[in-house]
Amino acid sequence: MAASIADVRSALSISAPPSSTPGPSQLKKQSSQSARKPEGISRELYSLIGPSAPTLAAQLAKPRLKQKPNLGGGGKVKWEWRKFKNGARADSLELGHWVKTNSDPNADYPFAKYNVQHTVYSWTPDEYSRYLHDSEWTPEESEYLFKLAIEYDLRWYIIHDRYEYPGTARELEDLKDRYFSICRKLVRNRPWNGDEASRNQLLASFSFDKDREQVRKKYVANLENRNPDQILEEEALYLEIKRLEQNERKFKRDREELLRTLAGIDSGLPDIVEDEATFFTVDTSKLQKKKSRADLDSPSASLLPSMTRRVAVAKDPAEDAKHCIIRTELSATTPATKAAHTPAYMRSFKLPYPKAAIAPRVTQVLTELGISSSRLVMPTRDNCQRLESLMDEATTLVELKKAVDKMSQDIDVVKTRLDIRETGEEMVHHTETDMEMDERGTVEPEGEDGRAQSVVSTRSTRSRKHGRRSMSVSSVDTTATSSARPPTKRQKRG
Amino acid sequence: MVNYGGDEVSALVLDIGSSSTRAGYAGDDTPKAIIPTSYGAITSPDGDVQMSDSDGNPTAEKRKVYIGHSGPSLWRANMEIHNPIADGLIQDFNPIPALIRHAFEDTMRCSPSEHPVLVTEPAWNTPANREKMAEIMFEEFQVPAFYIANTGVLNTFAAGKGSALVIDVGQTMASVIPVVDGFVLRKGLAYSGLPQLVYAQARHILTNPTQARPAIDLTPHQLIFNKQPVELNALPIYTLREDRAAATTPSWRSWAENKEVEEWVQSVAGVLDQGWNDQSAAMRPPKQYEFPTGYSTWFGAERLTVGEQFFWHSPQLMNSPGAPRIIPSLISDSLRACEPELRQVLMGNVVLTGGGSLFTGFADRLANEMMRTFPHTKIHAPGNPIERRYGGWLGGSILASLGTFHQLWISKEEWQEHGSAIVGQRCK
Repeated sequence: MAASIADVRSALSISAPPSSTPGPSQLKKQSSQSARKPEGISRELYSLIGPSAPTLAAQLAKPRLKQKPNLGGGGKVKWEWRKFKNGARADSLELGHWVKTNSDPNADYPFAKYNVQHTVYSWTPDEYSRYLHDSEWTPEESEYLFKLAIEYDLRWYIIHDRYEYPGTARELEDLKDRYFSICRKLVRNRPWNGDEASRNQLLASFSFDKDREQVRKKYVANLENRNPDQILEEEALYLEIKRLEQNERKFKRDREELLRTLAGIDSGLPDIVEDEATFFTVDTSKLQKKKSRADLDSPSASLLPSMTRRVAVAKDPAEDAKHCIIRTELSATTPATKAAHTPAYMRSFKLPYPKAAIAPRVTQVLTELGISSSRLVMPTRDNCQRLESLMDEATTLVELKKAVDKMSQDIDVVKTRLDIRETGEEMVHHTETDMEMDERGTVEPEGEDGRAQSVVSTRSTRSRKHGRRSMSVSSVDTTATSSARPPTKRQKRG
Repeated sequence: MVNYGGDEVSALVLDIGSSSTRAGYAGDDTPKAIIPTSYGAITSPDGDVQMSDSDGNPTAEKRKVYIGHSGPSLWRANMEIHNPIADGLIQDFNPIPALIRHAFEDTMRCSPSEHPVLVTEPAWNTPANREKMAEIMFEEFQVPAFYIANTGVLNTFAAGKGSALVIDVGQTMASVIPVVDGFVLRKGLAYSGLPQLVYAQARHILTNPTQARPAIDLTPHQLIFNKQPVELNALPIYTLREDRAAATTPSWRSWAENKEVEEWVQSVAGVLDQGWNDQSAAMRPPKQYEFPTGYSTWFGAERLTVGEQFFWHSPQLMNSPGAPRIIPSLISDSLRACEPELRQVLMGNVVLTGGGSLFTGFADRLANEMMRTFPHTKIHAPGNPIERRYGGWLGGSILASLGTFHQLWISKEEWQEHGSAIVGQRCK
């Protein structure tokens, strides 16, 4: 181990100290130099590497505690007890508080600015007699009112509470009305040196409708005087409406889903906006029918275009007629939501088709006429409408026929029974059948009626679906009645 | 400094109630000095006690007055107990300076002449009373500034609200105070001496025998020489201090006995949350209590009848003319006098305060009673007993340390200039 200091130095590539010959005296001198050595590095090491290893020294520095955050100011803050005067006070009261020594002793009291004063309106006797006269108020009482209003900073409940003018009992509205009307009259009749807008704004701030306030107050009182039963009923109704809305929303969602799959609304359209307005977006032409059906739960048929949609009032009807342009009118209430959106479609795609239950019969009727129910050579609007009405009529015809058949069959059955009775059967059975006959006679036409109506009103696919459903129910009915066995009531109800 | 709108001017707050007088610095959360308002006084015949003492009232040399914690509660020969408060109002102003001096100078060790002082008053205080108070503070204590504020308003502030329906149940008075925007609606103010009846009823319960126990002897510990531990429900074995018997005044004795009743009420009595019901009263666990004589027993349903007095009175008591009104009727009276629009606001901000409301179950019962007529009631009842008992003082502490409040002080200069009329003008 004969490595000299010089070797170590060369290995660490450190330049040699000025005197290259190390000796005992020199070493001493170096150690005296190393009095300036940085903290945390041993003397021996420092004498080896000299002052040229600052990174090493930094790493070897003695660990310290985390530095305290410097919160500004840098030094202690001196506080002193200082007397102050409050600008909001009229007298010379001096209170004391602790403030920082470096704060301005002549600054205004910071809280004085919150002492906001209202504009005080006063009037001369002349002004009073000219503008402010009111048979219900004396000038003195008006003065008293204004004094209170200023004293309580226009807190009307307090003013009303403290109002004690001999000989009068005033309502809160009377006080407010008088105060604001005086302010209004004064502002209106006095010369105004600002612009008109600010004057109007000021006048508007003094507006007060006494009757309306009284009515409002009466409403509030009524609301409070409800008895528990009324409150319960109200709550029940509220819950009910919430439930209905929820149902409607759910239904709308389902319909949306269905539309997307069936009618081909692609997903690039704007998102559904769940607003209650769509709840009531019923085409005006349909509204009447809807009402007559009084069936809010049935799907709204407005979403798919109907063939009977009115021709829009175009800018130039003649031009439209010439070019066979038919404008579909969007109802103004229909919002621009996805649910209410009608995509473009080919008219021939939306040809009406008969109810499934009697479809073969109807098709048969049409075929007899030489018309294809599923295809139109020229599916113009008129043609479509005609086909539709034809189809309706064919349907009605088929149904009527069915009913007639049924009735005649019933008659046959009854006749047969009558014959049997005449030949000498028991009497009890007879009366029973009679009663059943009566029942059928009253109930059946009703069902028939409703069915017909639903058929007429269903023009769109959606409502047709509904119609179809009700049809299937009534077809059960028909089969039941057409059989010789008298139907039970339960079956009729479906 | 401007944070929270506070600006401390080291004001003093003084709240004189019928059971205790509270004093402290504005900005604190608890009063520094809480001393009983009742005081003892010994009136000696001429020439017996001549020395004039600091506690003594200057107007009556022959009368020695004992104030503070070692005032009425220490037995002294021939000491009468007085209370300057009646029905929440100061009726006797003679001992008031001594009381204030004891609170500020002897207990807090500060001089009122160096601090602005805020004093509280009940909502039904008379103008003469508040002017008298201002006079005492300015003339006797030389305060630089003075203000007198309503306890209803201060309780509202203590709850951190501007408008509230304050239900304050104290030791002698129960009041319902509608406060709007920091002002009391005087027309809606309703109060009665209901707590007095409740305590009288409690005393009646204790001093009358029942099937389960004999009548209870309320002899205070100051008059008992010694006693022996006895079994539960066993008759107490104790010896009276015969030496004191002769010199005990009736007023001291009734004060001491009432204190026993009060302590019993505070530790045992309660109220049912859902109206009186024998079954649910029997279901509640009984509580044990030991009296100074050494007699101890369990109190079952009867401890709950005490609190019931706040909410329900028998029809014949309700109809008798002098009977204090119960809390539900106070509330309905108060609300009837308020604007219908305000009722919603007030019922949404009900503040329950006062030491008398610290009955077990009081807040729940009140909530249930109010829910019946007003389903949207919200009750603010501080759970901290200090806040509940000293709500008025706390509100004063908040108010007197607000920067915007300092314009309202009545300064000495104004007092000298305008006289007592300034009090009514400034403290609305």
